[in-house]
Parts: sequence; structure tokens; C-alpha cells
Amino acid sequence: MRIPHAHITLTVNGEPTEVAFAPYKTLLEVLREDLNLCGTKHGCELGECGACAVLLDGQPVLSCLVLGVECEGRRVTTVEGLASEGRLHPLQETFADLGAAQCGYCTPGILVTAKALLDEHPRPTRDQIRDALSGNLCRCTGYQQIFEAVEAAIAVEVPVADGRRSVLDTREHSARGPSEREDASEASGGGAPRALKNAASASGVGVGPHAK
Amino acid sequence: MAATSFKTIGKPRRRVDGRAKVTGQTKFADDLMLPRMVHCKLLRSTLPHARVVRIDASRALAHPGVHLVMTGRDFPIPYGILPVSQDEHALAIDRVRFVGDPVAAVIARDELTAFDALDLIDVEYEPLRTFADPEESLTHSTPRIHDYGDAGNIHKIVSLGFGDVEQAFADADHVFEDTFFYQGSTHLPIEQHAAVAAKDPDGKLVLWSSTQTPHYVHRALAKALAIPAAHVRVIATPNGGGFGGKSDPFNHEVVIAKAAMLLDRPVKICLTREEVFYCHRGRHPVLMHFKTGVKRDGTITGLHVKTLLDGGAYGSYGVASTFYTGALQTVTYHIPTYHFQGCRVFTNKPPCGPKRGHGTPQSRFGQEIQLDKIAETLSLDPAELRLRIVERPDTLTANYLRIGTIGLAECIRRVTHAADWSSTYRKLPPGHGVGIACSSYLSGAGLPIYWNDMPHSGVQLKLDRSGGVTAFCGATEIGQGSDDVLVACVAEILGIDPIDIRAVTGDTDLTPVDLGSYSSRVTLMMGNAAIQAAERARDLLAEAVASKINVPKDRLVFAERRVFDAENPATGVAFSDAVCLAETMFGTIGTTGSYTPPRSAAKFKGGGVGPSPTYSYSAAIVEVTVEPSTGWIDVPRVWIAHDIGRALNPTLVRGQVEGSVYMALGEALMEEQTFRRLPPRLSHALVHKFPSMLEYKSPTTMDMPDVITELVEAPDPRGPFGAKEVGQGPLLPVMPAVANAVYDAIGVRIDEVPITPEKILKALDAKAAGKTPRYGPSRFPDIAWPETLQVPPPWEGGDGTAVNDQRRSVPDTRERHGASASAPGVGPRRYEKVGPRER
Amino acid sequence: MKAFAYVNATSEREAVAALKFDGIALPLAGGQDLLARMKDYIDSPDRVVNVKNALDATVTATPDGGLKIGGAMKVVDLAEHAQVAKLYPAVAAAAIEIGTPQIRNQATVGGNINQRPRCWYYRNEEFVCYKKGGSRCFAVNGENQYHAIFGNDGPSHIVHPSSLAVPFLAYGAKFRVLGPNGEREIAAAEYFTMPTLQNVMKENVLADEELLTHVILPAPGNVKSGHYEVRYKASHDWPLVFATIVLALGGTSGNTIRSARVVLGAVAPVPWRSKAAEDALAGKPLNEQTAALAGEAAVKEAKPMSGNAYKIQITRTAVKRAIMNAAGIKTA
Repeated sequence: MRIPHAHITLTVNGEPTEVAFAPYKTLLEVLREDLNLCGTKHGCELGECGACAVLLDGQPVLSCLVLGVECEGRRVTTVEGLASEGRLHPLQETFADLGAAQCGYCTPGILVTAKALLDEHPRPTRDQIRDALSGNLCRCTGYQQIFEAVEAAIAVEVPVADGRRSVLDTREHSARGPSEREDASEASGGGAPRALKNAASASGVGVGPHAK
Repeated sequence: MAATSFKTIGKPRRRVDGRAKVTGQTKFADDLMLPRMVHCKLLRSTLPHARVVRIDASRALAHPGVHLVMTGRDFPIPYGILPVSQDEHALAIDRVRFVGDPVAAVIARDELTAFDALDLIDVEYEPLRTFADPEESLTHSTPRIHDYGDAGNIHKIVSLGFGDVEQAFADADHVFEDTFFYQGSTHLPIEQHAAVAAKDPDGKLVLWSSTQTPHYVHRALAKALAIPAAHVRVIATPNGGGFGGKSDPFNHEVVIAKAAMLLDRPVKICLTREEVFYCHRGRHPVLMHFKTGVKRDGTITGLHVKTLLDGGAYGSYGVASTFYTGALQTVTYHIPTYHFQGCRVFTNKPPCGPKRGHGTPQSRFGQEIQLDKIAETLSLDPAELRLRIVERPDTLTANYLRIGTIGLAECIRRVTHAADWSSTYRKLPPGHGVGIACSSYLSGAGLPIYWNDMPHSGVQLKLDRSGGVTAFCGATEIGQGSDDVLVACVAEILGIDPIDIRAVTGDTDLTPVDLGSYSSRVTLMMGNAAIQAAERARDLLAEAVASKINVPKDRLVFAERRVFDAENPATGVAFSDAVCLAETMFGTIGTTGSYTPPRSAAKFKGGGVGPSPTYSYSAAIVEVTVEPSTGWIDVPRVWIAHDIGRALNPTLVRGQVEGSVYMALGEALMEEQTFRRLPPRLSHALVHKFPSMLEYKSPTTMDMPDVITELVEAPDPRGPFGAKEVGQGPLLPVMPAVANAVYDAIGVRIDEVPITPEKILKALDAKAAGKTPRYGPSRFPDIAWPETLQVPPPWEGGDGTAVNDQRRSVPDTRERHGASASAPGVGPRRYEKVGPRER
Repeated sequence: MKAFAYVNATSEREAVAALKFDGIALPLAGGQDLLARMKDYIDSPDRVVNVKNALDATVTATPDGGLKIGGAMKVVDLAEHAQVAKLYPAVAAAAIEIGTPQIRNQATVGGNINQRPRCWYYRNEEFVCYKKGGSRCFAVNGENQYHAIFGNDGPSHIVHPSSLAVPFLAYGAKFRVLGPNGEREIAAAEYFTMPTLQNVMKENVLADEELLTHVILPAPGNVKSGHYEVRYKASHDWPLVFATIVLALGGTSGNTIRSARVVLGAVAPVPWRSKAAEDALAGKPLNEQTAALAGEAAVKEAKPMSGNAYKIQITRTAVKRAIMNAAGIKTA
């Protein structure tokens, strides 16, 4: 059975994009193979690792479990779309500075997921960061430097006169030792992200015993 | 040089490849897309052990879009990582040995077509008896899984004696005997193995691959494909995680290399996650027995360790793994007499090999739990017990390992202080506990995998008139930060910024040999080579600058991108000008550096595994809460201190420590590479329990505790700027510390990993029933050990040779890294008494 | 996965019509289960019908004070819906634990209810089990630590995979289903089916050409509810056991349990209602002792398989803690 190519129009990293591909291709495959955006990685292609996360209309989803044909008219953001006007996103700066990327393979999926968190909740707590990244496996870091990098990105984002974000020199943050981490997480209060786990447990329901 | 005088070393810095990684620009193997590229898929065996009677690929070959189908006949020459275990063929010739063993390959226009064509290959198998468990392989010598090895289905069996342990047990106040089991686990790098092969315009082979060991892959390809090594180029792409799992030459690399040469088109393969589970080469499941004699004050009089390794279907690094289960016990604590017996058997499962800690976490687990039991019996604090028996620096151990500096005592002090050990151990409420354990690891294997006297690592520098420097080294970036170490060492010596240096690594055409990213060897070996190359360049520049500005050469300082007079800093030249002066004086400026480890003192057969230029040390305290009603374990906090010698980039060092703790907790609490057997009428197959990331449970952000890391810096003169390893050692103490903490919390011993709620409930049930409050193996099988090689320890006048090895009466340093197996059928094998064999 | 034709349905009727097809047609909603199954060659439809844009994705109030939830509603939206959390806290609690944040952003309510089993034999192409038209359940003599401890008469021993089905059943939900012959409403309790030799390949009454369009929750009344899940990993894992408890309270102190619904998840081929636990609760004061008794009663009829007896203890604890959660009592 020869099935005609799907032909869709969507917005990829802010750019209107037209692409034709076999209709059974996933968004992951379309991005990597048809749009040459290889920054998005794959670790299982079954929704089990989070490496392929991209933003679909601003929300993190697993691009391996979304069909390309479903993306007609939608906005897709990949790691290639985080930097703007020649400037890295604050998360990219802090991830690079603070050791949050070791092998770097899970990094693109974590960066876009963390961006979605900060877009919605600019000052997340450590628990909210843990929660938001709970679908992204990393086998290198043990996650701590990732949490710290997200927290440092909060710290370096400051509004400037024209309303855009500016990045402070992050070098001082890289010297932060483990002993100061708790202060950092306490310092960053903030609103609840979408679908926050502890919001549910406050209402007479809970999960455990493994939950923190 | 005092630490404070360093400009780059010791400062937390963004790694040199950091920007590429956060922008998605790091090119992993599967990110390479070449014109005319075609795709490969492997057909893998569905039976665990069978003769391949017939393969008919004609239907697959006729399938539209298929370019090539290959079978074992295309690959007659075997290969393998160790010279003594050349037991792999790219595709099975006449035998499959585990479910997942590759049988045929399809190369087609796209992955889907190749995948569909796999279904069109007809394979006729004749099933053979399947060996599921090491005891079966011990008791049944036929059919042999391989026609080599020490006997039947025993791949390697060894017995090494250092002094009289029986006398030591007789002299002891207490003798402890315990049996432990350490379950196998796999690396689970997030990147699936991938590779691209092409015939370059000159007709030579190029392979890009996510490999940790491009040099060994280079050798294996040349051998297996009978191509001159000079016509093979292997480029290690940055690995998306390795952890030891990409250290062997793999079937798929050999297959696509040949396919690319035949088709004259680039060929790509990217393994599925399921296939990554079949590649494995992960942690060996090890059953072990520890017998330790101690004096009342905790002094160890002797130790006898027996290990039984489930090797899976191929040799891989297994001979080395076997020795590693017995190598490092003596490196942490003073053990005057030592007897090690190890046995690795073949089974019909994916081959085991090196995973982070290679062969040592298993026996470390046993040793550290047993010490906890010893401390309790002796009414000693387990931290205090360890402090009493820590080995001394600059000593030769009973098994002839040369120890450098030891920061272990300081690690114990730092971690007990940080965790407030004295007010928590045995003092927390029921259900809450803390446990301590220690470890050590090598900073690079002292011997290469194949015998040679050449350097283990080479670095070449090219100095540019622009002031830029290019550093070439065969080392492989697997995420650990080896490129950053290379650049940092050069930057420090030449007084320039790391950003001024370009690292070109892991390319066998362009870079000098480095043996690979395994055995925690890169920082020490490549670092020393880089320093030597940089110092040679500095000397050339210094001579040229000295003559230009009329300052004695030894007064020149290289810093801040300048070369200047220490006594008059204003007098000097820019670094780029210094290069020009040197080029004027000497011609093109290029220097090399190389590193060869010191010769080992161990001259006995088997002494090739364990020696290292220096050893790292770690101590960990783990806090747990255990719920008696469900057996649930939670780890809220881990304190770990690591003797790093010197932290070249503390940001990366901390990442290695925390990543090790993470991987260790996975092994301690949930990770298992396990198999199940199908009923006889369903082929009796032995299949992976479930080769998926969902069912192979690994900790998420929500499972990971806070880790408090302490770095102990006691520079070791053998390391670059004093540095030791950090990638593997910090994993080792965590698993036993969890087990010891569980005991502190609820008074039951779990003598195996993973420590699951189910095992805790069973141990609690045993406790409630008045039985031994423990879960773990109860017996170690009787094994027909060979005659023990008797090597008198140094303090008994030994010289590192065995007194009873006839074949090696002349000490011969031609010891291979685990390559000491006797050739099959050579010499009569003598056995010690054979006990009754139980089933 | 195999190549397929794709239909993007824009209305319920269109979707149902597209499912009627000479060949295998499967509905695609969030796709978090379907696409994984297709990649594993467990299902290879000739046609995939995208129903996401055809089905309701909102929550609306019903005249009787309950809520009507659209089948295409994303799990993330359900989890954070204020009215859902207020009236049916156990639904929100179950929703927030599903999969991972990325999965919750795509997965739908209907997809969660109708997803196929997690059984590792079912999920492996090589094992042709009852669920795939074969003639055996490999869990019986195989690895069954995640399999059923209730309803174990066979022929299949899966546990039902839906996290939402359990609280929906506990709150007395009805499922509205649309097919070629029109609409019908099915009580959640009647929707899920135990395996029989005739009907082992399905987990519910939904016909091939039908779609689950809505979940209709009745007004909760004066109840307290609790939910408790036990899982190995704190994220990205199916629960080993979970329980939803809905208690109708009365008496002079308002603390006497008039009646109870106790529904267990991940223990049986269907969301498992424990009559024994419900009986143990009826008429008792709501306190820790009662909770413990109910936990005890819940597991009385458990029939574990060779490798999952440990789930009994966990079930006991989950029931007790869900009740304690409902009562607002902190557990030790």
C-alpha cells in the first residue's frame, strides 16, 4: 500500500514551515529527518525517557508519541529555538556553566521542559522543578546540577528597560557549593506550576510511600 | 606549585563543550546524515542457544528497497575486546548464544524497509540446551557454549594466594563468613548505540560510532574485515552516556563497515532501545563468599574471597572482570594475608562486561556489609573500625598493588562530621537509619588490553601564530568531560584561556592513540601526556622569548595570555607573539607528550588486573527510612567524600560524584538486568525480563535524594596536577551503605541488591518468626578450583612472583590486562579437592 | 510501525463513521498508548482516526450538581480543574500521578480509560497471549509480580491499567458512548469486563466502532474521599496497588460511616470493588482502627499468583491509608 505524503504547515521555532512526509512519521522523525533539526534526541521512541521532549503550543510533549500529521497549524519549539537574537536562553547559560549537561543527550528535552516551567512559573521551588522534570531521565548527573541550573536561571533573569530578559554574568553561580543549595531553593518561592502534585495531596489525597 | 597559583586548574568552569551541548549542536552518531546514506537493521536470534542450520535470505533480498543482506558467511574472522577472548562474529556463523544474538543484516533505503525485510529472512535453528544460571554451567560441561575457556562452560577460573590465610584465621579472635549476591544491571545510557560507516573518496573505511574505545574498534575492524589498519579511520562521536556499555567493538559496527565498503555508500545503524539491552556488557551478577579473620581490636588477619560470575554468552572483558572481583579488597584496608578464588561461567544471556566500577562493586558490597557485621560483634563503631584498619600510603599490598596517597581516613572523618554520624548512628528512631561504607578505585588500568610497551595516551599540540592552540588526543568524550581536562591541562601550562584551545579528540586518523574512556584512566593518563606536550611547547616558547627580551628562561611566567618576567611583569610579550618568536627560531611549533604507567610489581599470572598509577578513595553515609508495613525504602540524603587528589574542574568533579551516587542508588534499590525462562514447550527460551526503559526501573528526579559532596584534595604526584579519578569510585560505597543503613533502621540484613520492599518484608517476616533476620543467598556452590598460585606477600620476602608456577619460573612482565588465560588444552589442570556437587 | 492511512475527524459523527472501515481502524486521541503499541507492532491499524478534534475536551456542570467530562480532555487539564478537585479530589489525585508531565500534556481522559494492559507479555510482540488472540496467559507460569491478586480465575491475569477508572467507579460515574446506532450510557461498574474465553481480547464493553465521549459524574453528596497509590518509582511508573475510598458520613457526630465505596486499582483485570471492605466500614466510626479493619477485610479474598503475594500487604496498607486520607488523619 503506497500512502501519499502528508503535507502540513506549522510554526517551528517561530518560523512558518511547510513540510511533506510519510503520514506515519512521528513529530520526532519529522523534526530530525525532514527538517534537519537534530537537536531533539531519542532514547527509546516509546515515551519512556523524555529525551525527545519538545514544546507543542508551549507545552512539553514527547515528540516520539505525536504524529507529524497532528501538528498542522501548531507551534513547535525545539532546543534550536531557545536562543534568540544571538543570545542563549538563561537556562542554556546556566546549564553550560553549572555542569547540568554531562553527556548532553537528555539536555535538549530537559531544557525545553524547564523553559515551559519558567514560562508559566517564573520562580519555581525545588520541588516544583523536580516535579516538572520528572519525565526526563538523566543517567549522568544525578539531577542535582540540573536543579541548580534551573534555579540559577531564575536568578539571572532580570527585566531590562525594553522589557526583554537579560542575562547577568553567571560565573559567580558556578562557584556555588552544595552547602548553599538549600538556601537557594528556599529563596525561590513562587506559584504552583500546572498540575502540581502537592496541590492534590493537600486535598485529602496522597501518594506514597515513595513520594517525597 | 601551590594550588593558589593555578589560573585554570581547580576553578569551577563551564566545560569547553558546554555550549554545544546546551544548544543541541553536539553531533552524536545518529545526528550524522550523509548523502546517499542507507540504513541497516539486524535480525537477532529468538532462541537462547541453537545451531543455525540454514538461513534463506532470498525473499528479503528481493524486497523492494533492499540493497544488501548479509549473514555470518560474510564475516569469517572472529574478534573480541581481549586477545584471549576472540569469540565474537559480527553475525552468527553456525551458533546463536543468547536471545538477541545477531544472525543477519539488512541494508535498505530506509529503516522501515530494512525492518520489514527482516521478517522475510528464514532461519532454521536446532535448539541446544540452554544455560540459565551459573550453577547449571558449572555442573554441565556440555554442550559447550564456546569451544574455549578453562573447562566445559567455565570461561575463567583462578585461585591466587598471598600468604597463609588458614593460619591467619587460626590466629584470629573471630572469623566471619558471609555469602552475598549482587544482581546484574545495565548501563542504560540515554543514547542508543549508533554508527555510520562510509567509504571515503580514497576508498578507505571511515566509521563514526558512539564508542568509548575508538582505538580498540580500529583494531577490531582491521582484523575482522582484513583491511590494513592504516586504511581504517574510526571517529568516536561524543557518546550520549557510556558508563562502560560502549567499550567493546560491537557487531553492528563491523556489519555496517563491511556493508559500506561493499555498497560504496554510507550506511547507518541506530539500535532500538530493546537492542541496547541485548548489547549489554553490563554488571556481572556475582555470588560471593567472604571469610574474614579479625582480632578483637578490629585488625584483619586474613581474608578469603570466592566469587562466581555469571558472564553471559561471550567473553567481552570477562577475564578482567573476574580478576577485578578480587583485586581491590586490599587497597582500602590492611589485609596481611589474602586468598582470592574467582570463576566466570558462560550462560545463554547477553554478555556481561564493564559497567562503572567494573567487577569491583560486587565484592565491595560484600566486604563493606561484612565489616558492618564485624563492627557490631566487636562493639565498635563501624566508622571507627574502618579508621583503624585503613591501609597506609605508599605501600605495596599483599597482592602487589602499589598504593600512592590515601585520603580515605580524611574521607571518613569528613563524611562522619558532615552527617553528624556520632549522634545518628544507632540513635535514630525505629524505621530510620544511617549506614557507612568506603571504597577505592583505580585511576587507570596499569596495563593495556593488548600487550605492548607503548604509551597509553598521547597528546599532540599545534601552536598557531594567532595564539590559538589545537590539542589532539585519541581520548573519547563520553560526557565525563575529557575534552575539558585536555584543554585545562594545556591552558594551565601555557597560561592561556581554555577557550583559546581547540580539542580534537577520538579520531584515529588525526589524533595520537589514547586507549579509551574506560578504567577511569583518561584524566590521569591523558592529563599527564597533555602536561608533557604543553611543557615542551612552553620550553620552546620560553627560549625564544628569553632571547628576545633578555630575561633568563627560568624567570619567565606564562599567564594571562602573556609570557613575562616574574620579577618585572611589565616586561613580556603576548602569547601569540611568543608563538611567532618560537616559530621564527625553531620552525613550525608542534609538540607531543605521552604517558606510560609505571611498571607493576605484580609479576604473577593474573597480576595484570588491579595495578594502577594511583587509587582514589571514597566514603559514603546513606540515610534511609524504611516502612515496616510495606517494606518501602526512602533515601532522603547521601553524604559522600571523595579523595580526588586535585579537582581539575570542581563543577565536573561534583557531577561525577553525584552521578555515581545516582547510578549506585539505582543498583541498590531498583535496577536489575534479569531474565526469565519460558516453559519447555515454548523452546525453553531464556529471554530478557523486559527490555524496556519502563520496566527496567531507574531513578527519576523524584527518587533522587539530596547529595552532600565533600572533595578531599591531597594531590598525588602521579596524577596531573595531583588529580586522581572520580568517574567510578564514588559509586562503590553507596550500595553497601544503603544495606547497612537498612540494618540500622529496622535490624534486618539484606545481603543482596537490589534491596526491594519485597525482600525487606521477607526479612522482617523471618525476624518475626525468630529466624535469622536476613534476606540473601544461603550457600556458595562447591567449585573445582585450580591449584592456588602461591605468591608470598612483600612482608614475607616475596618478589611478586608465584612460587609454584612452573610455566612462569622466569618472571615475565609480559602480563596482559586480563590476558593471562592459559591456552585451551595446554598443560594438565590440577584441581583441589572436589566437593559434592549440589543442585 | 506499519504504514497507515490517517483521518482527522472533526465531529463525533464523523469519527464514528471513519471507524467503520473494511480493515482495522483505531481511534487516536492523546496517542500515548496507541502509538507505543503501534511501534511495538502490538497493533498495526490500516487506518488511524484522530478523534482529538472531534470529541469534547471540556468539563461542564450537570443539572444534578455533578460534572460531565469530555473524553478528549487532557489529563493535565483534568488534574488542575478546580471543580474536579473540589468535588472529586480522588480524580484529581489519580490524574496528577499518571505517567509524566509530558504524557499528561497529551494523554486524554478517554484514552486513559480505554488504554490497553501494561502486562509485559502483552506488550512484547513475541508473546501471542490471550489478549492477542493466542491461547495462553504467560503470566501464569511466568513473571507475574505486577499481575492480578483478585479476579484470578483467568483466562487472563492482567491488571487494569487505568488510573482514572478507579476513582470514576468509586464516585459512581457513567460513561457515555457513541456508536453507529447512537448514544448509550453505561455505569462505570458495567463498563469494564472480566476476561472470559469469549471476550478475553477486550477489557470493556466498547464496540470497535464506538467512542467514549463523556464521563458523567453524579453530584458527590456529603462524602469524604481518599486516594492512595503505591509505586516503585515516584514518577514514570504504574502503581503497584492503589485505592480510592468514598465515604458517606452521618450520625450525630457526623463521623459515622453510613456507606462506603472501596475501589482498588492494579490488583485485578478490572477496577476492583471490594465489597468486603465496604461492609467492614459501614456503620463504623471513621478512625484509624476502622481503617485498619477495612484494609484487613479488603485482602481477605485475595488469591495471589506465584510472584505477587507481596501485593497483599501493600493493598492492606493502601486501603487503610486512603481511608485515613479521607478522614484527614495523618498516618504514621
